[in-house]
Amino acid sequence: MKVLLIIPAYNEEANILNTCNKIKEFSDEIDFVVINDGSKDNTEKILQENNLNHICLIENLGIGGAVQTGYKYAFENNYDIAIQFDGDGQHDVTYVPNICEPIINGQADMVIGSRYLDKKESKFQSTFMRRLGSNIISFLLRTCAKTKVTDPTSGFRAANKEIIKVFAKTYPTDYPEPESIVNIRNLNFRVMEVPVSMNEREGRSIFN
Amino acid sequence: MSINLAIAVATTLILMMLALITNIKNKKLQLSYSIFWLIAGVILVIVLLIPNCLNVITKFLGFEIPSNMIFFITIVMEFYLILQLMITLSKESKRNISLIQEVSMLKKKVEEIEKNK
Repeated sequence: MKVLLIIPAYNEEANILNTCNKIKEFSDEIDFVVINDGSKDNTEKILQENNLNHICLIENLGIGGAVQTGYKYAFENNYDIAIQFDGDGQHDVTYVPNICEPIINGQADMVIGSRYLDKKESKFQSTFMRRLGSNIISFLLRTCAKTKVTDPTSGFRAANKEIIKVFAKTYPTDYPEPESIVNIRNLNFRVMEVPVSMNEREGRSIFN
Repeated sequence: MSINLAIAVATTLILMMLALITNIKNKKLQLSYSIFWLIAGVILVIVLLIPNCLNVITKFLGFEIPSNMIFFITIVMEFYLILQLMITLSKESKRNISLIQEVSMLKKKVEEIEKNK
């Protein structure tokens, strides 16, 4: 099984090296590709100097376009599983086997790492407003797409080969996380959640 | 129609056509996008030549006064136009994203090949 971590990064000079080192320490069987989304800081320099596998987008595309580049890369290089993984230290690489397991066992086509599924598992539960938003999206997904997803905005997710193919072709740009779930469900793929732990991001959020 | 109004409409029409033709000539506007405005120009010419046609159409469609009808038709056409623009914009932005992604991936490949030379 060829596994690829897709790491979108925008102005992540503070965390990107740390994130990549943690992945290397954890396992050398997992490949990763950092998608540098037109960062204005030293992200590109750090990626080059440390010889980290990366693609530098020539223009800023936003999270949707950046992640899709990763799926295109995964598709071209024939990966079996592609995992979206944040470059800011929010996600924990030790959960990668957990998130891959349902795909390897053939139980699901896409697996989402949820911080709400098992409250004890995740130290970081995010802010009240974020949880409220997540709950509203969850409700809409349950009623409109008949899918039970507790953490629809989670950016920690794994996709099998077929989904990589779909995402390489079309991936939403505006609110990619929940929208992609709907698209996948409309194509009758199976979506599953596993509990993961998330940390508070190490760098400053781009929303602040 | 008063003579003042006729002059105002005619001036607007001439300015509109001038702007249109200059932009087509300078290749700033594709011909397919200008057809909408050319048709609008033709309608204005008809109104200018036969002012009474407005009253007839207004009565036929059941509007109280011609200005109501003109506002209504203009708003509907404008809505259609903006919708078309948004569709075009969405399509173009999709292509643009795809282009940026492909170029960036190619750039990576080229850099790798040059490194291994």
